[in-house]
Amino acid sequence: MKQIFSLLRRSPSTQLGPLEQELLSALWMRGSATVREMLDAGGINLAYTTVMTTLDRLYKKQLLNRSADGRAFRYSPRYTQEELEKAAVGETVRQLLGSGEAAALPLSYLVEAVSEHDAGLLDDLQRLLDEKRRERRSELRSRENR
Amino acid sequence: MFAARCVGVSLAVFILLYVPLSLAVSRGWNLIRRWFRPRSARSSADLLFILRVLPLALSSLVTLGFTLPSFLLLEPRSTNEAIGSAPLALGFCCLILIGVGLARAWMAQLRASRALVKWLDGSMLMESQVTESGEAVPIFRTGNDAPTLTVAGVCAPKVLVSDAAVAMLNPAELRTALGHEIAHALRYDNLKKLVFRFSVFPAMAGLEHAWSEETEMAADDAAVSSFPDALDLAAALIKVSRLGAIQSGELTMALLHSSTALRARVQRLVAWKKERKPQTHRSWLYVLPAAAAVVVVVATYGSVLNQMHAVTEWLVR
Repeated sequence: MKQIFSLLRRSPSTQLGPLEQELLSALWMRGSATVREMLDAGGINLAYTTVMTTLDRLYKKQLLNRSADGRAFRYSPRYTQEELEKAAVGETVRQLLGSGEAAALPLSYLVEAVSEHDAGLLDDLQRLLDEKRRERRSELRSRENR
Repeated sequence: MFAARCVGVSLAVFILLYVPLSLAVSRGWNLIRRWFRPRSARSSADLLFILRVLPLALSSLVTLGFTLPSFLLLEPRSTNEAIGSAPLALGFCCLILIGVGLARAWMAQLRASRALVKWLDGSMLMESQVTESGEAVPIFRTGNDAPTLTVAGVCAPKVLVSDAAVAMLNPAELRTALGHEIAHALRYDNLKKLVFRFSVFPAMAGLEHAWSEETEMAADDAAVSSFPDALDLAAALIKVSRLGAIQSGELTMALLHSSTALRARVQRLVAWKKERKPQTHRSWLYVLPAAAAVVVVVATYGSVLNQMHAVTEWLVR
């Protein structure tokens, strides 16, 4: 476990602090949880808002999935421990070789993993695009009416 | 012995400059970018490219422009001095560095050429897009085993469009997507990647990643001239990524470089505003200091050579 986090620490895109590591480990063990469930399970002596902020940060780093659960979010790890380990190793090797994505050729595991979870992202972006197109159409219509 | 000393000293000076400069760039590129505050993605990409190649360019310039001439002109040929352990070790390290760089660049080019030959097998020339500057960029329609939309080739870039892309994108989307690829071709981004390969330094991944993102955005900007264009390009990006076609190969610039940057690019495109005016080229900002530097160098060349020779003498001893 420590090895994964030390590898991830070297990756600028997925740097993890000790708190983030602790919560990610807890989520790997539980599978999924809300902030309240994590606190109620014990072992985490942190304020509710601290856990909430940290999980949100992990979500933004694309390491967690989340879905609405009542008035809260239910978080689950986006990658298994094994997947993350592979990604971290790939990232580290790539950095050691000095070949960032700009110089990337053979595709790395990290890109594949990212593309796997992108279905939701693509739906979000499609909705955003459709919304903009609708706005534009109504704008054009209102201009014509004037 | 004279020639060996000359080569050893020159290579030693090269690596003595290259390593600290590379280290400084790899640590400080983001600060420099923030300080310059480039106004567009294109300027930002250009600045990052300059920073990435600066250690190589500057070290080569000093070595070829000062170290070598100073040695050839000022070192007495009759002296039977030994090379010295420091220049010997440094020169050896430099040779390894250059060898690794050449091998990386050669391998990359070889793999890119092989991939291109494979992709072009059975392809069809759709058209040659002649740009405003008069350069022609050929566009090939390839089978589905090639990347969806990509630019391949280093010195003579070609745009490749797969059958799937032609079938999936509507004409407006295809036009903007091709515009994006042509922008890459005109800016010789694959050649720049090859230079990165040659210029070896382990801690440059962050800078190269940032360059890559800015380059993609610069190509987006070049392909888009109105809000509908921006929406078409955003739609093309989403459609291409739905194909799961993140299959770009060596030294190619695929339309969807990496899905991690997709969100940022689409959000940027749907927020496109007309205020993006054509870039005013403030080249005098760079030309004037460069001209001043050339004048200073020419005026002081003799004394600089003397000083450089003193440094190399110290290095040999």
